Amino acid sequence: MSAADPPENPAAAFSMDLSNHKSGTTRPLAAADLCRRCDPGQFKFKTTDDLEDLAQVLGQARAVNAIEFGVGMGRDGYNMFAMGPEGLGRHTIVRRYLERQVPQREAPSDWCYVYNFATPHKPRAIALPAGRAIRFKEDMARLVEDLRAGIPAAFESTEYRAKQKEIETEFSERQDEAVGAIGERAKQQGIALVRTPAGFGFAPRAGDSVMNPDEFRRLPEAEQQRLEHAISTLQEELESAIHDVPKWRREAQRKLRELNRQVTRAVVNGLIEEMRAEYGELPSVLEYLTGMQEDVLDHVEVFRQPKDAEQPTLFGVPLPVSEIGESFLRRYQVNVLIEHGGTPGAPIVYEDHPTHDNLVGRIEHISQMGALVTDFTLIKAGSLHRANGGYLILDAIKVLTQPLAWEALKRALRSREIRIESLGQMLSLISTVSLDPEPIPLDVKLVVVGPRIIYYLLHAYDPEFSELFKVAVDFEEEIGRAPEADLLYARLIATIARHEKLRPLDAAAVARVIEHGSRNAGDAEKLSMQMRDLNDLLRESDYWAATASRKVIRAEDVQRALDARVERADRVRDRLQEEILRGRLLIDTTGSRAGQVNGLSVTQLGGFSFGIPHRITARVRLGAGKVVDIEREVELGGAIHSKGVLILSGFLSGRYAANKPLSLAASLVFEQSYGGVEGDSASSAELYALLSALADAPLNQSLAVTGSVNQHGAVQAIGGVNEKIEGFFDICRSRGLTGEQGVLIPSANVKNLMLRRDVVEAAAAGRFHIYPVDTVDQGIEILTGVPAGERGASGQFPPGTINFLVEQRLVEFADRTRAFGAPPLAKGRRPHRRP
Amino acid sequence: MTKRIRRVIVGLDPLQQSRALLEAAAELAGEMQAELLGLFVENQDLLHFAGLPFAREVGFESATRRALDVGSMERTLRALAKEARQALEAVASPTRVQWSFRVVRGVPAAELLAAAEESDLVIANLEAPPDVPSAVSFRVIRAGDVEALRAALEEAGGGVLVLAGADAVRVGETLRQAAGRGTQGAGHSRRR
Repeated sequence: MSAADPPENPAAAFSMDLSNHKSGTTRPLAAADLCRRCDPGQFKFKTTDDLEDLAQVLGQARAVNAIEFGVGMGRDGYNMFAMGPEGLGRHTIVRRYLERQVPQREAPSDWCYVYNFATPHKPRAIALPAGRAIRFKEDMARLVEDLRAGIPAAFESTEYRAKQKEIETEFSERQDEAVGAIGERAKQQGIALVRTPAGFGFAPRAGDSVMNPDEFRRLPEAEQQRLEHAISTLQEELESAIHDVPKWRREAQRKLRELNRQVTRAVVNGLIEEMRAEYGELPSVLEYLTGMQEDVLDHVEVFRQPKDAEQPTLFGVPLPVSEIGESFLRRYQVNVLIEHGGTPGAPIVYEDHPTHDNLVGRIEHISQMGALVTDFTLIKAGSLHRANGGYLILDAIKVLTQPLAWEALKRALRSREIRIESLGQMLSLISTVSLDPEPIPLDVKLVVVGPRIIYYLLHAYDPEFSELFKVAVDFEEEIGRAPEADLLYARLIATIARHEKLRPLDAAAVARVIEHGSRNAGDAEKLSMQMRDLNDLLRESDYWAATASRKVIRAEDVQRALDARVERADRVRDRLQEEILRGRLLIDTTGSRAGQVNGLSVTQLGGFSFGIPHRITARVRLGAGKVVDIEREVELGGAIHSKGVLILSGFLSGRYAANKPLSLAASLVFEQSYGGVEGDSASSAELYALLSALADAPLNQSLAVTGSVNQHGAVQAIGGVNEKIEGFFDICRSRGLTGEQGVLIPSANVKNLMLRRDVVEAAAAGRFHIYPVDTVDQGIEILTGVPAGERGASGQFPPGTINFLVEQRLVEFADRTRAFGAPPLAKGRRPHRRP
Repeated sequence: MTKRIRRVIVGLDPLQQSRALLEAAAELAGEMQAELLGLFVENQDLLHFAGLPFAREVGFESATRRALDVGSMERTLRALAKEARQALEAVASPTRVQWSFRVVRGVPAAELLAAAEESDLVIANLEAPPDVPSAVSFRVIRAGDVEALRAALEEAGGGVLVLAGADAVRVGETLRQAAGRGTQGAGHSRRR
C-alpha cells in the first residue's frame, strides 16, 4: 500500500505566534466549512437548454494566448508544445484554434513526383497549384496514349516507308553489287554462285544450274583442278567482299534510326507543344516536358510496338509477359503525392500513428521475378506532406516511442524540407534498388501534445528542442471558483450536453456537477478542468436519467452516476475496510492508549482514491538520542517519509531539555503496513505517538490524525484530505458513531474540504468532528485532553502539562545516562587531548 | 470475281521464308473459296553443290568458309521444310481455308508449274519468269501489276503465275487489291 501525499501549498504561511497559543480552545469545524456547496438558487435558468453555448475556452487563458501567438508567429522554430495532464481537452482546444486559421490561409501546392530523365534514381518533385496535380497526371496519361497512337501511324505513312525503302535498297544494292560482281566473274569462268540457306557457295555450272557431282567427276583431271582452284580464289574474294557488309549494315541502321527520329520528332513535338501551352506558367513542368521530349525520341521503338503483340513462348509454354513496353511507359506517369483539390484552406493533420515512415513518407517496393524493385510511382506521402502548408498535430509520447521518428521529425523541421529515406535503408537492413527522391520544401506548424514532464525533459536533454519548439502551451488543471465561474461552468456543462446530445440538466444537477468539479480539484476554491472526467460524468448522468425515464438530468442522476463510479471501483477499499471491521487490521475507534495513534493514508488505484486509517505506534526507552523509523530501516519508507521522521528528532531536541543530551531511543512504525509508505503526512501523527509515549499520556483512539509537522511544531498542509477523513469516517460509521470521533487536519487544509454529504450531515449532527489544527500543541491537547503547556517565566513548563511530562522524561533519561557513567556516544569514540 | 480458281499454290522457298506472302495467299484462297497448297521445293542446285568434293559455304554474316556435304544440306533442308510447314499451319489453321503441304525436290519454278493445273493460281517468289512447259499454259504476272493480275483472273480464272520476287509485302498488296480488298497495309489486315 502506498500513501501518496504530494505536499500542497508548501508555502503555507504560519505566521501565528506559537508561544501565545491558548490551550483547549480548538473547536471542531462547522458543517458549512466541510463542503462548499453550490447553491442552485443562484442560477436563473431552469435547465441547461436555457443557457447559451460557451464560445471561449474556460480557464485556459494562458494556453489560448500561447496558441494564438504560436499560430500567428510565422518565423522558424515557433512550433508549439501543448502540455498538461490527460483529459484537459488539449487536442480539442488546439484544433479549435487551428481551424479558425484554416480559411484565412490559401490551400498549399499540390506535389507530384516524376521521372528524372537525367538521373533516374533521383525522381523530381514538381509543385502545381492546388487541384492541378490530378489534371496534370491525366494530361500526361493522355499524352502517352496519343504518342502510342501517333508514332506508329507516322511509321505507317507513305513518306516514311519510301525513305525506309530507300535506305534498305541502298544497303542491299551495295551488297548485291559486291556479291554480283564476283558472281559475274565466276560466270565467266563457268562457275555458278549458289545461294545457300546460310550464305554463298561456288559450284561448276552446267547450263543454268549447278553441275551434278557425278558429271564433275567425269571431267578431265586438269579441268577439275582448274575449277577447284578458281573456286578457291572466288571464295577468298567473296570473303573479303562480305567482310564489309556488317559495316554497311550498321551504317544503314544508323540512317534508319535518324529517319525514325525525324519522323517521331514531328509527332512528339506537336503533341508536347500542346501540353507546353497549357502549362506555360509552370517552369518545372516545362523543364520536365523538354526532358520527356528527348526521352521519347530516344526510345521510339517502345511506342512502335503494337499493344497486342504475340506472347512469347518457350517450347510452346507461354513465358510470363514482361511487358517491356508497358513497364517502360511507367516512366511517363505522374505520381501525385499530395493534392488539395477538394479542400480549401490550409490542412490540419493529426497523425495518430507517427512512425518514421508515416511521418516522412515511404518508398514501396514490388517483387519482380523474386527481386524487390521500385520506381518513383511507388513513393508514398507521409503526414508531413499532407500537413505541408498547414498544421500537424502529434502526440509527444507516440512520436517519441517510435524508432527514429523524433529525429526524422526534427531533421525535417530544421532543414525545412521533407526528405524521404527508407528506414530499412537508413539502417542498412535492406539492400535493393533504391531511390533518392528530390526533397520537398516544408512549411508546417507543428503542435506536439504531451505531458508536462516530457516537455521539461526534452527541454533539459534535447538541445534541439528549445530551438524548434519555442512556444509552450501550458494548460491549467483547475480554475478559481468565483461566483461568476460557477455560471461559466454551467454554460460549459450546457455546451457539452448539447454537443454530446445529452438530456439537459436542471439547476440542481448543474450545482451537483460543479460541486464534483471542486471535489475533483481537491479544493473548495477551485474547479477541475478535467474535461474528459466532466464529459464522462455528464454522459453517465444522462444514462441514469434515461434508466429513470426522465427527460431532464436531475441532481440525483448525477449523484447516482458518482455513486455508481465508486461502486464499480471500490472493491479494494471494501476489502481493506472489511479487514479492519473484522479485526484483522487493528484500528481502535474508541478508548485511549499511550504511544498509539490513528494515522491516515491515501491509496490511488486505477483513478480511484480512497483513504484508510493506519495504526502508528511509538516506543521509547533510554538510548543514544536516535529516533528509529522502522519503515526506513526495512526500506519500506520513501525519502519524504524519512525526512518527516528526522524532523521529529529536530523538534524534540529543539524544544525539550535543550541543555542536556538527548538520551532517547525511540522506534516508530506503521503497524500492519506491508507495502511502501511515502509522504510526510503522517509525521504529526508520529509526533503525537512519540509525545504520548514519552509523557505516558493516553491518546484518544476515537480520533485520527493527518498533517505534516516542521521542526517548530507547526502543522502543515497535506494532500488528499477529503479521502482521508472519509476513510476514517467509513470505519467509525460501520462500528457506530459515538459522537466522540473525528479527524485532526491541518488548518491550511480547511480550504480543501469538499466532503461527502454523509460526513457533512454527521458533523452537522455533532456525531463526527473535524478539528483544524495549527500546532502540535493544539493537536496533543485534543488527543489527550491534557493541556500542552507553555514555558512560564521560569522557563519551565507548568507541571501536569504534556510538555512538562515529556521534558521531565527526557531529563530523566539524560540523568540516568550520566548515572550509568557511559557517555551517550558511540563506542570507541573518546575525546582527544591535544598535546 | 471468278470462282474457277480451285487451288492456290504458294511456293515455299528454303532461302526466303515470307510470312506476309503466306498470309496474302491464305487470305486470297479464303476469298476465292479455294484450297491452299504449300509447296516446298528442295532446290536441286543446293544438293548438287553440296555433293561436290570441295563444297564450301561462305557464311553470310560471319564471312568465313565452312565445308558442306550432302547429308548436312539435306538435314538443313528438312529443318527448313518443317519450319515452312509450321509457318503455313500457323497462317492457315485459324482461317477456314483447306490447306496441304508438300515437299518436292528439283528446280523450284519447274516443280511449281509441274504441280499446278490449269485452274490453279501459283504464287512464287521468283525473280524472272521461268520456262513454262508446253503442257501447261500459264500467264505470268509480276507482283505490283494489279491490273494485269485482275484481268488475268477475270479472263482465265486459273493458270496464273504471280512472280513475287523478294518483296513479299508488295505481292500481298497486289493480291489483296486484285481480290478487291482495298489497299490496307499488311500489318493491319491480320487484326481480328
